Amino acid sequence: MEQRSIQAEAQERIFVGIPAAPGIAIGPAYLFNKGEVVVEARRISETEVAAELDRFEQAVQRAERDLDKISSVAREKLGEESASVFEAQRLMLRDESVYDRIREYIQTHHCNADYAVAHVLDEHIRRLEASNNTYLRERVADLIDVKERLIRHLRREKLLSAVDPEHIIVAENLTAADVVLFSRRGILGCATDHGGPTSHVSIMARALGVPAVVSLHGLSDSVQTGDLVILDGIQGRVVVNPRPETLALYRTRQERYRRLLQDQQHLIPLPAETLDRRRFILRANLELIDELDLLKKFGAEGIGLFRTEVLFLMRGPLDVSEDYQLHVYRQIVERVKPHPTTFRLLDLGGDKMLPIAHREHNPFLGWRGLRVLLDRPELLLPQLRALLRASAYGPIRILVPMVTALDEYRRFQEVLEDVKAELRARGEPFDEAVPVGIMVEVPSVALMADLFAEEVDFFSIGTNDLTQYTLAVDRGNDLVAQLYEALHPAVLRLVKHTIDAGHRHGIPVSLCGELAGDPQATPILAGMGLDEFSAAPPYLPEVKRVIRAMQFREAQELAEQALQCHTATEVANLVNAWLEEHGCGLLQYMQADEPTAGNGRAEASSLQES
Amino acid sequence: MIVREVVVKNKSGLHTRPASMIVRTASRFKSDFFIEKDGYEINGKSIIGVMTLAAEPGARLKLIFDGEDEEEAAEAIVALFEQGFGEIE
Repeated sequence: MEQRSIQAEAQERIFVGIPAAPGIAIGPAYLFNKGEVVVEARRISETEVAAELDRFEQAVQRAERDLDKISSVAREKLGEESASVFEAQRLMLRDESVYDRIREYIQTHHCNADYAVAHVLDEHIRRLEASNNTYLRERVADLIDVKERLIRHLRREKLLSAVDPEHIIVAENLTAADVVLFSRRGILGCATDHGGPTSHVSIMARALGVPAVVSLHGLSDSVQTGDLVILDGIQGRVVVNPRPETLALYRTRQERYRRLLQDQQHLIPLPAETLDRRRFILRANLELIDELDLLKKFGAEGIGLFRTEVLFLMRGPLDVSEDYQLHVYRQIVERVKPHPTTFRLLDLGGDKMLPIAHREHNPFLGWRGLRVLLDRPELLLPQLRALLRASAYGPIRILVPMVTALDEYRRFQEVLEDVKAELRARGEPFDEAVPVGIMVEVPSVALMADLFAEEVDFFSIGTNDLTQYTLAVDRGNDLVAQLYEALHPAVLRLVKHTIDAGHRHGIPVSLCGELAGDPQATPILAGMGLDEFSAAPPYLPEVKRVIRAMQFREAQELAEQALQCHTATEVANLVNAWLEEHGCGLLQYMQADEPTAGNGRAEASSLQES
Repeated sequence: MIVREVVVKNKSGLHTRPASMIVRTASRFKSDFFIEKDGYEINGKSIIGVMTLAAEPGARLKLIFDGEDEEEAAEAIVALFEQGFGEIE
């Protein structure tokens, strides 16, 4: 924490995290604190029982109103399935084994309602935790939510629904329910200690067009409600109690960003091609059906990465049937065609823990991605069947996550062939030629890309994981996070190697990591010959702006130079100077006229180090 | 008292959404409603009870209705099971 925050003056502190949704927000913080609820037992006298029962009733009614609101927003934003979770929680409030038992407990034990609530719900929780049934163990989270919601209402604590609009939410972490509620409140932005670009908070923030930064370790401990906060969702920074100069700087940047967004409008319908007419394809990374409108809004030509994890997270992995998946996939495919939708198979493990995955010592080197799928046919088979069936309704591509070895991929191919044979036998129509590609996110695959290219239909480079694995850096770990350098020449060399191998075998190469949406990386990636950029839709127009400002030949030369650089800083300096020369680049634009202008990333790191 | 036997037909069993549907529907009636599975009986108006059954596809359940509007209650609940809780086929 200390390495990443500095005390420029008495109180200004800068936190560096991961940008999750672009934009700049300036406003008062609202600290949303959700620590463990501690309940103390208190004896009450016979005469106080009636009042205590009344206090309990009031809390139940307030909790019911909360959950009504949450399920109606969830239904609207996330669909019927996720709303049902909150509806079930609402029903639990009046459940005889909850409501009646709590009342009974207050009456017979003469204790405070808070204690009775905790006692009764803990009993249920312990019982479900001991169950052999996975589905029931997963319901524990619902009971904990119900318990905490009731206790907070008993204490009349300011709950989420009391969040004032025009605030920047600061929290350790946010659940789906939290984010759903915020979305109604007209908040300015979200900043969380934990989470990554695909956490609920990030996904929702992008869907709502609210700037967000995640993985700001220690931020929530250093902020009070009401503190003035600058949230920079472009560079992934939060400034607490800014000095007047910093504030003025960011007000200018905020205004520039606003004008930039207006100016982007003219780019949306234009093709992503260089001055000398080299054409690139810009596609979207999406996770929710409700985000499909963003494709048109930001000019994406189809979906380069549809993450299916969210679908499973919303319902619990074993609740997602083949038919339900088909229903979802089909809607997407039909709306995105004639452009293709690239569905990535369920990618569990690493930082994407589902309840069925067990805790591991080193999850990033453990049971994740394709390894899980091959071990769990009950997850893989229904998804493959649903995807193939969806291919009858429009063009799809299947993307296999976290492949590490060729024999593993071949085993997957066998499973896929079996599923196809089964569908043929069932007489289900599907596209026999559905392209199947792999994520290139492990150095072993990038190094063997020439051999993989003989057996797959496309590559999609996942630079977030590739960078972590190549540099041996966990960006969630404060002690080493600053060593996560997206433009490290070692990573660029693996990317280049993968692109060249793909092209030698005539298969297209896409890149779907954060780098794809970073205009600073655009000229290098374009110069290396990348075919497709796939990023969260709001990032696409700036990438297009850079592409349209350059000659392909110049970008090739820049890429050649970048590959010869010794350090990531050298690469950053090289590309920043290049962007400056070409009059484009997001940071260059935002920081024009500033003393450090043209030095984007370098400026960020000097602020941290000073 | 009315007793009906049903089989769980929908593909994912009595998970959260079907369980909520059963409880909400049952709560509209005055009659008592119990569900029995493998000799284990729960109150069908309790969401926690219904979830605890963890009834998987193919499970056989006995539905027991008792009260003045037992006929209507039985009809409404059995219909839910027969329609597979509105899951997309």
